[in-house]
Amino acid sequence: MNAEGEREKRHEERLHAEADSEGRERRQRMIKLASATAFLAIAVLLVLIVVSQLSTDGGDTDLEHTAEVRAELLGLDQDGLTLGKPGAPVTLVEFGDLQCPACKTYAESIVPEVIGSKVRSGKTKIEFRNYTIIGEESIPAGAAAIAAGEQSHGWNFVELFYRNQGFERSGYVTDEFLTEVAKGAGVPDIERWNADRNSRRVLAEVSKTRAEAEQLGLNSTPSFAVEGPATDGLEPVESSFSAEELEEAIERAG
Amino acid sequence: MSSTKPPAEGTLRKVATFAATLGIGVAAYIAIAESDGGAAACLAGGGGCETVAKSSHSELAGISVAAIGIVGYALLLGAALLRGDAARMAGFGISLVGFGFSLYLTILELFVIDAICQWCVASAILMTVLFAVNTIRMLAYVGTEP
Repeated sequence: MNAEGEREKRHEERLHAEADSEGRERRQRMIKLASATAFLAIAVLLVLIVVSQLSTDGGDTDLEHTAEVRAELLGLDQDGLTLGKPGAPVTLVEFGDLQCPACKTYAESIVPEVIGSKVRSGKTKIEFRNYTIIGEESIPAGAAAIAAGEQSHGWNFVELFYRNQGFERSGYVTDEFLTEVAKGAGVPDIERWNADRNSRRVLAEVSKTRAEAEQLGLNSTPSFAVEGPATDGLEPVESSFSAEELEEAIERAG
Repeated sequence: MSSTKPPAEGTLRKVATFAATLGIGVAAYIAIAESDGGAAACLAGGGGCETVAKSSHSELAGISVAAIGIVGYALLLGAALLRGDAARMAGFGISLVGFGFSLYLTILELFVIDAICQWCVASAILMTVLFAVNTIRMLAYVGTEP
């Protein structure tokens, strides 16, 4: 009787062990399947994001440097054509003409350094103002930048325009070119941007900033002016041939 | 040592069914509002919905993101209504894609478009709920009897 009881007990234990083992194997198979599902889902997600990026951020334009400009400005506040924290104690103003080759050089090699050192730290904000001295085409270009600024993408527009600038007064500043720049800059509402850039209000704004530059006695582009606690209003920066000189002017103003 | 018992699978499926149905409603409303060039009405004002609707990010390779959302929520509704491991896995996989894509779209709204649409936020919340529910369902019940 005892021996038979032992045999039954062992038999039951074996059945339990087999059931446990089968359950564990099934769970393991399912965990592998779940991992494969997660991997597939992440792959689909990445494809969706890449397609989205390609069809929006300049991927459908022939413009260059869209990603570079986006990275340079990523995470910085933009209000109109002002870049940086609204409460920054110092304001550096660039008077530029989007057709001006020297401005392009500054945009590529000097301004990014100042953005990295002084704007990202919150010490200063930079404002772009149109000083349209190259030619008639500078006016629609400047208006387009202001209209992009009204959708918080003004600096993306300015920086992308400079990086794709053509020969001055060669006729490259067409509606098509400006629209390509606006799309590449990520201006959200192109229809509204088109209406704004052609409005009297925005065109008048271009003329107004030109008059301000002349009042300050500026006669070339790019010219810089700075305003802060230690200045008497907006003061021209006497020498601005390097990022260091601009950084020093910012320090003196603050 | 104590272990928390997961909610009953029936409860998880009911929550997922409810959230997916609401999601279809939200995505369908956005798609219909945008179909004639308009935008969903932002209940709190501010114009964020219009800015987002007219943004180039509201389409993916020429297809409205809202329409893609309808398809995603419909698939999640199907996974919630069906029993078994295939439905559990499908619910988890689709909700993972939906959750990740909602997160990506929210980042775009905050840092690229600079406008927030309440309907998109509602959809992102629903997708987060669906991801959580489907993940619990998959972890707790896959490999068990339906």
